[in-house]
Amino acid sequence: MMRYIRLHRIFIAQYLKRLMEYKVDFMLGAIGLLIAQGMQLIFLGIIFSAIPALKGWRFEEVLFIYGFSLVPKTIDHLFTDNLWMVGYRIIRKGEFDKYLTRPINTLYHVIAENFCVDAFGELLTCILLLAYSIPKLNIPFHWHTIPLFLIVSVFATLIYTSLKIMTSAISFWTKASGHITHMLYMTNDFGKYPVTIYNKAVQALITYVVPFAFTAYFPATYFLTGKNPLFCLGGTVIAGTVLFLLAIFVWNRGLRAYESAGS
Amino acid sequence: MESMIYAENLRKEFKKIIKEPGLKGAAKALFKPNKELITAVDNISFEVPAGEILGFIGPNGAGKSTVIKMLTGILTPTSGFCRINGKIPQEDRKNYVREIGVVFGQRTQLWWDLALRETYSVLKEIYQVPEEQFKKRMAFLNEVLELDSFITSPVRTLSLGQRMRADIAAALLHSPKVLFLDEPTIGLDVVVKENIRSAIRKINEEEGTTVILTTHDLADIELLCERIVMIDKGRKVFDGGLSELRHNFGDVRTFRFELVNGPDFKLLDYRRRFKLTDDDVCAERDGSSVTVRFDTAKVSVEEMISYTLSTVHVKDLNIKDVEIEEIIKKLYRREVSL
Amino acid sequence: MSRVKRFFRTYTPFTRAGMQEMVAYRANFLCFLIGEIMASFIMYFVWKAVFDSSESETFMGFTMEDMVVYLFITFLAGYLTYSDGAFTVGEEIIDGSIAMRMIRPCSFEMCFLFQELGNRIISVSMIFVPIVAGVEIYRYVQAGEVRFQPIYFLLFLLSLVIAYMISFYFNVCYGFMAFFFKNLWGTTLIKETVVNFLSGAIVPLAFLPAGLANVLNFLPFASLSYTPVMIYMGMYSYSEIAWRMGLQIFWLLVMYGLSKLIWRSAVRHLSVQGG
Repeated sequence: MMRYIRLHRIFIAQYLKRLMEYKVDFMLGAIGLLIAQGMQLIFLGIIFSAIPALKGWRFEEVLFIYGFSLVPKTIDHLFTDNLWMVGYRIIRKGEFDKYLTRPINTLYHVIAENFCVDAFGELLTCILLLAYSIPKLNIPFHWHTIPLFLIVSVFATLIYTSLKIMTSAISFWTKASGHITHMLYMTNDFGKYPVTIYNKAVQALITYVVPFAFTAYFPATYFLTGKNPLFCLGGTVIAGTVLFLLAIFVWNRGLRAYESAGS
Repeated sequence: MESMIYAENLRKEFKKIIKEPGLKGAAKALFKPNKELITAVDNISFEVPAGEILGFIGPNGAGKSTVIKMLTGILTPTSGFCRINGKIPQEDRKNYVREIGVVFGQRTQLWWDLALRETYSVLKEIYQVPEEQFKKRMAFLNEVLELDSFITSPVRTLSLGQRMRADIAAALLHSPKVLFLDEPTIGLDVVVKENIRSAIRKINEEEGTTVILTTHDLADIELLCERIVMIDKGRKVFDGGLSELRHNFGDVRTFRFELVNGPDFKLLDYRRRFKLTDDDVCAERDGSSVTVRFDTAKVSVEEMISYTLSTVHVKDLNIKDVEIEEIIKKLYRREVSL
Repeated sequence: MSRVKRFFRTYTPFTRAGMQEMVAYRANFLCFLIGEIMASFIMYFVWKAVFDSSESETFMGFTMEDMVVYLFITFLAGYLTYSDGAFTVGEEIIDGSIAMRMIRPCSFEMCFLFQELGNRIISVSMIFVPIVAGVEIYRYVQAGEVRFQPIYFLLFLLSLVIAYMISFYFNVCYGFMAFFFKNLWGTTLIKETVVNFLSGAIVPLAFLPAGLANVLNFLPFASLSYTPVMIYMGMYSYSEIAWRMGLQIFWLLVMYGLSKLIWRSAVRHLSVQGG
């Protein structure tokens, strides 16, 4: 474990060196993501200029949930962005061979190789939203609020990462699966809004099938109301754990099916 | 003592989905894909003692790379197994790969956007090479592979030859016991090829590293390998030394001369004179120059030369060195049946 | 006549290649599409919640029914007028393979255009009918009468074609900028988000403050999707349609001219670099 932490520091250091070479690209990427988030907020602003509350949710509450949804998304984006490449390129082109000839865990190696600072665009939005909304909300604060927030963030991130691992691993069999990752990943946007605005089918989908509701709405409502900790937080922990175990299982099965490429 | 590499009945099958053209074919493939089983490697067994350099040859698509990928633990054999350095790659991958080095000539394992030196410092951590040893090792690799002039350049700016040397150094950084080289000289010019060959020889001699290499360049084989395994269509067709190969497949030699009088060519009839078939001898004329290829198992060099000299007027006759290339060409043209 | 014939003989192979490419990657395309259309469904639910929470039947002049038509037809228009020529051009510029295009005896952007047309023919056949049919069935169920108006629909198609051409030349212009930027991912993200917003894909322009909406209505971005969608919805009178489409044509000519201009200076830039 210590070894992997040490390795990660080195990978990130190397990444930062590379970053220095492509400063402009990364700046533009981060600015792009910041603008993209900003546009969404303008949209919310326009809506709330006309109505006082969205199905009973006040503007600040919606912003809080939205901001909360960016926490796991940003962490996942920052650390595991290279998983996209597995489904798009690495396996199809046989580049995965390299990871198999190294004496470290393949999944770790793929993930560690990239570190996506573009995510700072989202991180900034996230901080701004939380900093703006929290003081305006009557959030019950206890000694355990912050530890719980940190723990739940980790498991919420695991939901994102595990879904990416699983869908990327499909390419061990099919050669390419980036489009499947994309399809599943896009449902994460459902989690940005209070799930009560959706119909029953969508609610069931994002709670039990692709549990993005546990990455934001459920934990966020716990922090807002202090109600239902078992379901809201426990659900996140369970969903994150189960998906992660499943993801590891699929990945390891995939390794055995890996067929490399070309001659 | 057991061999460094031991492979028994290695077999690898791939499923290939056959696509039919057009939309109808696409729809059909969706519901009932037409699968075909391809045997890329068909029950190959061999052993390599420690310290040997083994050449792996065969035509494109013969299954060379698939064998290498099974030996290195990248692919899982459909059946059979291999044991290298006492370990089965697929069972104990992480510990196994610590003691091997792999170079795929067509692909780099260096970090593309970083200075070359950075790649080595990352690999040092991945393979947990102690600092002292790392320094010594880099000095040694520098000396053998002459990395100094480009070690601070970003990998993407390296020439192919520099990149290949850098890749070999990367594979050797952790002092592996076995080195796998898949086409290490592909696309390189003669000088760089020679440079790389001498580095491989040096490492083999000084450290007793066992080397398996695949190549299309027969000079690599002649200059490096004591032993050859030839595979074709997934099967092992030959396993032995170079001289044995020549003996088994017939020793083809070539001589070339200029005719003083071009049309005299028709006077030469090696086939009837020595009762040979088209497989045994082949004479080609291009203007006044003639090239004759023949099998020394059927007729001796002396007989051929004296017949030629006594039949036509000749100038500039020379006998070429023996090349296993001819044997392999014959195999590739499926002229040798095995 | 023979010139027209030769023109088509030169470029139809590109269209065929584009179609084949699309057929080969149809599964990827469909998955990608489902991912993208998800955003429209999220918007649908958000708007539904807005209308449920609001006391009036309309929101800034739009009924819920209008909103649904707007969302999905905007998605359709956005998808159909999206041109990734920019990315291809940009990548070829960066890796230098653009030189190969320049030595071929055919117009550089025409090759792209015809290849993309092939792509579009396949994707249109896959998504156009389902989305339009879905929207019309929804409208029929909601209103209890057929709301589909063939004349507006035809004008919509015409406007969409012009919109595609504007988008194509706009993106060619943008792609040529790679000669100067050497960066694609970040700038493309920024470009796309901004264009999305300015073209009304995120919020209908009518919802924006009047002054801003007026300005945006005149910019080329409104021509990309807002104009055709408003025509489809029957929001414009015939005279308004006439001058909106006139504006579209105006922007098409501007973009075309601009692409030629940038191309000329980009070629000079290329020869200066010696690449």
